[in-house]
Amino acid sequence: MARMKFLCDADRCIECNACVTACKNEHEVPWGINRRRVVTINDGKPGERSVSMACMHCTDAPCAAVCPVNCFYTTADGVVLHSKDLCIGCGYCFYACPFGAPQYPKVGNFGSRGKMDKCTFCAGGPEADGSREEYEKYGANRLAEGKLPLCAEMCSTKSLLAGDGEIIAQIYKERVMKRGYGSGAWGWKTAYRETIES
Amino acid sequence: MVIADPHPTTWASLAVEAGRKDNLYILPVATQFECKGSRVASNRSLQWGEQIVKPVFESKDDLEVIHLMAKKFGFADKMFKNIKLESNLPDAEDVLREMNRGSWSTGYCGQSPERLKAHMKNQAKFDMLTTRAPKNDPEVGGDYYGLPWPCWGSPEVKHPGTPLLYNTNLAVMDGGGTFRPRFGIEREEKLPDGTTRKVSLLADGSYSKDSEIQDGYPEFTLASLKKLGWDKDLTEAEMATINRVNSANPDAVSWSLDLSGGIQRVALMHGCVPYGNGKARMNAFGLPDPIPVHREPIYTPRVDLVSKYPTLPDAKQFRMPNIGFSVQKAAVEKGIAKQFPLILSSGRLVEYEGGGEETRTNPWLAELQQDMFIEISPSDAADRGIKDGGWVWVTGAESNSKAKMKALVTERVGRGVAWMPFHFGGWFAGRDLRGNYPQGTDPIVLGESANTITTYGYDPATGMQEPKVTLCQIAAA
Repeated sequence: MARMKFLCDADRCIECNACVTACKNEHEVPWGINRRRVVTINDGKPGERSVSMACMHCTDAPCAAVCPVNCFYTTADGVVLHSKDLCIGCGYCFYACPFGAPQYPKVGNFGSRGKMDKCTFCAGGPEADGSREEYEKYGANRLAEGKLPLCAEMCSTKSLLAGDGEIIAQIYKERVMKRGYGSGAWGWKTAYRETIES
Repeated sequence: MVIADPHPTTWASLAVEAGRKDNLYILPVATQFECKGSRVASNRSLQWGEQIVKPVFESKDDLEVIHLMAKKFGFADKMFKNIKLESNLPDAEDVLREMNRGSWSTGYCGQSPERLKAHMKNQAKFDMLTTRAPKNDPEVGGDYYGLPWPCWGSPEVKHPGTPLLYNTNLAVMDGGGTFRPRFGIEREEKLPDGTTRKVSLLADGSYSKDSEIQDGYPEFTLASLKKLGWDKDLTEAEMATINRVNSANPDAVSWSLDLSGGIQRVALMHGCVPYGNGKARMNAFGLPDPIPVHREPIYTPRVDLVSKYPTLPDAKQFRMPNIGFSVQKAAVEKGIAKQFPLILSSGRLVEYEGGGEETRTNPWLAELQQDMFIEISPSDAADRGIKDGGWVWVTGAESNSKAKMKALVTERVGRGVAWMPFHFGGWFAGRDLRGNYPQGTDPIVLGESANTITTYGYDPATGMQEPKVTLCQIAAA
């Protein structure tokens, strides 16, 4: 079984936000909720780098470790999903996540949080694959249709890679051999406790 | 004033603001998803688009708009005599065929609707790097994707399109090409001793692969085909058309006037480019500056350089006066550069396109850029007490122009330089004009238009306006 991973090659990201737009459109994500975002550091200075960030679908995900209602589960593909029926919007996962992935809609006065929403690796949720209920709560289930996440499919420079961890690591290694290591496989040590060396 | 667009543009909101009550029409025009037809891109290649959804609301297809206008002017019967009509909508296939028939001179003649549709159907067969389909394919064999013009001859000639305009390593029928002798075939050159001599503008010993003429040559006419003995390759029908095009002097009929396409076909048959084979022109004789020289912008911070490098003298160009010289002189005399010390340039954001009405109406994109802003360097911002993200007034060098927007303090721009995006509209001089849009048509994001601040200036050779650079001043609001 494949172990699905994301890899953003910061040496290639041009901060075009196509990944963000593709994600929003594919899953009808409302204004103010960002399952994916592009973070730019040293904006406007030499050495400026951008990296596209979303839930990295960690090994031993810290969100799952702190969740008081145990709403998280990891699929056979290594994708970390959650049940919005169980989620109580407590926000613990937001504090635990090293990538700032969990998002919460404002549902009432005083900024009270609704049920958590995050990147699903385009793999939906616990409901039946491709069902209306699944789409309304979690968005499209592209993985069930044999397709990869749309953010990476839309990436204009193929900076953002999504798919079987071994295959995307191989693609990245080939780039590293040609051009040098650059800024590295950002977030891999934190998410997957490994890194890619040539 | 007529605005024909999928979205009411900035102009619509400004016209209402200016108090215009009459003679303002907003015509909803269909987007590309609501109509079918050929679309050409800036790499000169064409694609065939199918209608995805029927036009929404009262939107009309561009072709229908043009037809209805021609009808009102009374020449629709002539203009559409070769084009089928479905009620008022012209047939998109026939429209392209009409363009093919009339565009011999640009090589926009070989891209028939049938060939373009075959390209869409066989997209997967085209190579990702060369953009070419395998030669043995029955439908699109050897074609470059989208048949980039010049795609010479009639569609039956099956020219593959020309992905690079100048490439003598390829035969013409493989998409090769030469420089077009567009500026005569010789010119007079002055020598240092005061005498003159004629210089050939045709290529010297350079020609495209497999060319039967192994030197430069002028554009093809019936006369030149006769000289080469190639006129016998023309069919009777082609010859009859050439005689009909200019019955008094058929010899003068050229590759671009021959409605049969025969002269092009014969030139291609002999490995030649119909428009000829000339030299590239580095010295653009005939233009105001044949070799580019430095000229200070009309509004420049370096007023000391204006006397040495002034812009071109005032002149009437096309049908309009160009008074750039007077405007530049007046700007120096009035000390504009002291009042407006910052160089202002404008540009694009990846999230938005053009004037931005369409993209600012899309929620996924609008969320990413919610405010009009100006980039200013940290030192210029510090001098003016401007904070990152704070409101500022930008003032311009003409018409007491002013615009209110947010400041983005960044080292991306140098000291003395400011930059703003040109995709915003719907605010004017600090006022939000949202109420001026017809209900439900206002873009999600509005903001000041960069062109409120931009100033006078036109290119002498093309008439292109100067909306990219001027002077401005910025103050905290």
